[in-house]
Amino acid sequence: MRDLKNLIYFEGLLDNPDNELVKKASEDGRKALGYTCFYIPEVLLNLDNCFSVRLRAPNVGSIDIATYYMSNYTCEFCRTILEDAIEGGFQFLDALAEPDACSAMNRLAEHFELLKVNDKPDFFVTHLEVPYKIEDYTLDMYETQVQIHLLDELQKRFGTDISDASIRKAVDEHNEVCRIMTELSDMRKLPNPPITGYEYFVINLCTYCCPKDLLLPKLRETLEEVRNRKTDPKPWYRARVEVVGSEIDDLDLIKMLEDAGAFVVADRFCFGTFPGRQEIELTDDKPALAQIIEKYLVESECARWMSQEKIQQRHDTVDQLAKDFNADGIIYEQMKYCDFWAFERTMASFVLHEEYGWPVLSIDRSYRVRGSGQLRTRFQAFVEALEIKKIRAAAEEGGASA
Amino acid sequence: MSKKIKYPNPKWFKMKDNINWQLQKENVKEIYGIAKDILTDYDWGQTWKNRVADYEAFRDRAVDEAKYFAALDWAGKKDIILNGEERLGKLYRNGQMAFTRREWRGIKDTAYDFWEWARMWGMFLTTFGKDLVPALNGVLVYRWMVSYFCAHSFMDKLTMGLHGSQLRMHHELIYSIFRYVAENLVILLKADEKDGNCKELSDKLVLFDEMTMGQIITGFPDAVGVPYQLLPVFLVSEMDQLACEPYIDAIEEFGLPADTCPVPTSECGAVVLDALPHCGACFISSSMPCDGSVMASEFTSYRYKDLPTYHLSFPVRYDDESSMNMAVQEVRGAIKFIEECTNTKWSWDAYYTCMNRFNQETDYELQKWEVNQTDTPALIGPAYELFRKWHYEMDGGADPRVIPSMEKVNNIMMKAYENKEPAWTRGKMKHRAIVWSCPPHYFSNFSNWLANCWGVDVVVEMESLNFTKHLNTTDEQLALEDMSRLYERMVMRRHTNGGYDHVLTELWRQCEIWNVQIVIMYQHVACKNMSTLQGMFDDQARERGIKLIWVEHDLMDPRTVSRKDMRSKVNEFMYTVMGEEPCDPTLIDYNDDTTW
Repeated sequence: MRDLKNLIYFEGLLDNPDNELVKKASEDGRKALGYTCFYIPEVLLNLDNCFSVRLRAPNVGSIDIATYYMSNYTCEFCRTILEDAIEGGFQFLDALAEPDACSAMNRLAEHFELLKVNDKPDFFVTHLEVPYKIEDYTLDMYETQVQIHLLDELQKRFGTDISDASIRKAVDEHNEVCRIMTELSDMRKLPNPPITGYEYFVINLCTYCCPKDLLLPKLRETLEEVRNRKTDPKPWYRARVEVVGSEIDDLDLIKMLEDAGAFVVADRFCFGTFPGRQEIELTDDKPALAQIIEKYLVESECARWMSQEKIQQRHDTVDQLAKDFNADGIIYEQMKYCDFWAFERTMASFVLHEEYGWPVLSIDRSYRVRGSGQLRTRFQAFVEALEIKKIRAAAEEGGASA
Repeated sequence: MSKKIKYPNPKWFKMKDNINWQLQKENVKEIYGIAKDILTDYDWGQTWKNRVADYEAFRDRAVDEAKYFAALDWAGKKDIILNGEERLGKLYRNGQMAFTRREWRGIKDTAYDFWEWARMWGMFLTTFGKDLVPALNGVLVYRWMVSYFCAHSFMDKLTMGLHGSQLRMHHELIYSIFRYVAENLVILLKADEKDGNCKELSDKLVLFDEMTMGQIITGFPDAVGVPYQLLPVFLVSEMDQLACEPYIDAIEEFGLPADTCPVPTSECGAVVLDALPHCGACFISSSMPCDGSVMASEFTSYRYKDLPTYHLSFPVRYDDESSMNMAVQEVRGAIKFIEECTNTKWSWDAYYTCMNRFNQETDYELQKWEVNQTDTPALIGPAYELFRKWHYEMDGGADPRVIPSMEKVNNIMMKAYENKEPAWTRGKMKHRAIVWSCPPHYFSNFSNWLANCWGVDVVVEMESLNFTKHLNTTDEQLALEDMSRLYERMVMRRHTNGGYDHVLTELWRQCEIWNVQIVIMYQHVACKNMSTLQGMFDDQARERGIKLIWVEHDLMDPRTVSRKDMRSKVNEFMYTVMGEEPCDPTLIDYNDDTTW
């Protein structure tokens, strides 16, 4: 296939959190709101004069200073973000919204405050309580939290319009991004798709890290290009995999996986498509805020949910996605030192294999994989195993029909 | 005439067992197979050599002690006879699980110590005798039951170097803990399908997750609550440092990374090895105190699919009262769930009665704080914190016998305080210290060692500084809110959840209140909540001129950081930074890697 026209442009946007679109929006007087977790409804950070930036730290080398503050057995994602913050990489932010979902992210946000990493006089960090299970009262609680600790703060500090109409307007823009990404994502279901897993990952990641209105022209153009893209006679991949687990924003990880012959057909991880890039369908009978809260919490696949129905939901979602996207196997991954995904990966990779019958690769990894030989070998071995399985299945089918 | 309350209700023990003897036969057969393999593979020659070495070590120690004693002048001899021995490091021997012998504390205290030793044996026998067969059979069914045989060693460990009032208070607290433990053990084993298999009891049994306190079950006079993993995993790891290693290994082989907290790790390992009793009408799993605990319940509910589970989850940012309604709804939900599962009714009267008792117990706890904050602290040692954690909080006012125990301790403490009796003798009152962060289970008498070796006296531990407000006992809504606040501020959670102010800034506040010069800063290597603030502790302590002694540990896994490694951190600090010499040099360097 010919290279995508805007791929290098998209990759360039991911070189730095403070990319050209973020700069442009900030120069226009808009407020950059940082966040690191799905629990913060992204769409609510894109109201009126605000835009959301999901934090990444792609260019950080050593994380020694952050390790001094947060010690070495803690989430590398959080430590890397902190390192970048200490080095001044998040000066462009006007606020940071964090749920108290896991200890590392909570402490990361607290270090933003304690170390005063942002010089802007109006900069603030806001913390939100998030529930462990879905009940009417937990949804109410979270709605109150979002109202008090996020929306009211935005209105008070930045004069943001937080009305129902403003929220619905943000949802409209959000939905257009989701429609584009869903169409691109669905193309991955094809046996010989016009988009690679890596390309999709890059574009999708941009939608999390850039002001949406400024990114949309390129997204529309790219969608049109992919629709008309001519595929090679044969698909390039050897096996189709679904990737499941904790936060991934590392281009090298997906690249390494696809270099090993895998095609990432479904991305059920934080910063992925499932959940996050599904349209929000609002009705007029209820306030938009309540509907958004419900959608985010109900669709969340975070390992932190402890109730049985949510555990079951996690397993079923992974299984269904693998079926829908014709995956050959599942890769469960976890950021090193993440407690939630450490336990979830261990249990779910067992359940998905034993009870659902999927071939599963289970890995823990660093925030930046760089050139990890061990990981590459494991990816290659898994792809080979899936390939052999397919060949054997085909041979058995051939034998049976003969 | 008022009716005498019997606690625990004798009916729980009288219910009929239904032991599956076929299952027991198979279990014994398996044990026989293991024993046979061991005996076959045993190196009898080496065993003989070990016994000879044991004898020689015993002889050498006896000679050494005799020579030491002979070399003392008359005053020295008299001091040892009346006030006890000085060289406590001699009680350890490399490679042994038990002490070489029990400690000599002087005539009076040794006699008292033996009385308490016998009293605890008596309590164990009486309690286990309430349903002897399943209780004893538990030893054949569960590996962790064997660790309870070192309960007396645990007692010796916690009271090492203690005399007079200190010794008496410690014994009362330890006795109280083990009474609670023994009774719960019997109930758990009696209801267990693999052991007593008493369905009638099991139908009324509510299992509680990890450190979830028992206040909520006090409102159910017709049900019984047991802390599920506390007995097979949590507490045994305090008694026997090697107890949890098989569980940790099992779950790591299953795929869990080695960096998770050993508490949920061990619990999940116990699930994998099928080392938890299978019983109960329901399980109250909880989100407390940390991320790992949340996830451990996934393993339990997966293993025991027939056990109805309620996930009791409280707000993490508990200072924010806007989430209080959710907390109260959670408690209401749990009450309704227990009612349905056990077919019993919640009783406000029963709850209020117990909470009035609990409030009284809280007053006794606060009295300890008040005394220890003075220049003459009266209760210093591990039992202080362990009692609070394992009995006062877990029992939650249910047991009326706790009040006399606390009253007795309080009377001794107040008398010691009024008489200005030093908590530690032999010049061991040198430095006031506070212990911060999660304590190492496998070195549960670390504070005891600190005092005996260096005269560093831990006047309070972080784990003790939890919720102290009186719980409401008159208004249903307010009572539920108070119960929620209590749970939100339970052990560990009070400090590690809800923001850095609760643990970082709080430390400096407590240093001032308790007037301490030294902070023993535990660095539990796998505790994400604490280790993510490591640098801030260092920075802020430096700004305040407070001495932090960082002591790494891995909570339940002594293979990561051994007890000896932990001691060496303190030794190094005391020699180099403080420029001091130890109170008891025999405690500087000894090997207790295998000691219980």
